[in-house]
Amino acid sequence: MSDFLLTQVINYGAPLLGVVVFIGGLGVPLPCTPLVIAAGAFSREGYLPWHTTALTSIISVIIGDSLSYSMGYYASGYVLKRFGGTPKWIEAEKTFERWGPLSIFFSRFLVTAIALPVNLLSGTTRYPFRKFIIYDALGEAVWIFGYGGLGYLFGSQWEVVNEFLGNFGGLTLGVIFFIVGLRQVIKRQAKKRQESAAKNLC
Amino acid sequence: MQDNSKLRNLFIALSVLGVILILFFGLRAFHAFKKFENHRPPPIAEELLTDAEDIEDWMTVPFVSYNYGVPPDILFDELDIDPKKNFKKSLKQLNDEFYPDDDGYVLTTVKATILAHQPQTLPVPPDAPMPATP
Repeated sequence: MSDFLLTQVINYGAPLLGVVVFIGGLGVPLPCTPLVIAAGAFSREGYLPWHTTALTSIISVIIGDSLSYSMGYYASGYVLKRFGGTPKWIEAEKTFERWGPLSIFFSRFLVTAIALPVNLLSGTTRYPFRKFIIYDALGEAVWIFGYGGLGYLFGSQWEVVNEFLGNFGGLTLGVIFFIVGLRQVIKRQAKKRQESAAKNLC
Repeated sequence: MQDNSKLRNLFIALSVLGVILILFFGLRAFHAFKKFENHRPPPIAEELLTDAEDIEDWMTVPFVSYNYGVPPDILFDELDIDPKKNFKKSLKQLNDEFYPDDDGYVLTTVKATILAHQPQTLPVPPDAPMPATP
């Protein structure tokens, strides 16, 4: 898939890259990050115009993200009917209110595997669209200009950059899973201990 | 209560998954970083690519031709493929279509042709020797 898309990017340039990142923004698992890094390298070689490519990609991916946000937004009727108002839902909303900006921002480029769930959750929890779009645009700008910029900097050696960044993203996801899981286990353990201590007192 | 223990197990599983991901991607990231460390960004002034070994299957003839400064007609002639309708095909596609029994033929031929026809860069003359100061 990656090779096929790379061939198409060198054949059709920025419009094709725009379509791919748009579909990626909708949540279809496509190798968008390698393509962005490669596009940076092709721009350096003068094969693609960097400004048009960057602008097309950033606009397309933001539209894709907004559509997946609205999918969550319009599906929230069903979700709210089932879970809305329950203590767990309220807690989830509060957690998203607190961590939403960071998760939106970092899932655009560092842990892209959770970008779609974050978009859907933003819509479902009715996270303000204006805020969503600001953090989304900032994150996508880092993705396009940062990753594409590294591709530009390293030129024909872009594959080495891609290998490192891909694995670093996976490593970050592992660290997040570990911290979130461990934090919740410790929290629940402490709560359980408190409850049993209160029972013993009674 | 049962719900709580189910959730607890779920979070333990999440932590374990996290550790597995850390180990797996950590090792891969370390190896990639080692490779990455050995690469320095090439100087911006460098316009044409020179290392034919960097040519890959997904590239097209015009792309290779552009990057290595060899006209596409020379490459198509060497491959004995009509350029019309084949401009947008990758080297792999060309191989599969025109030389299905000879795996890797197109890639090898393109690399050899590039090496043979690449514009030679003039060697930089060494600095003129300076007379020794008395």
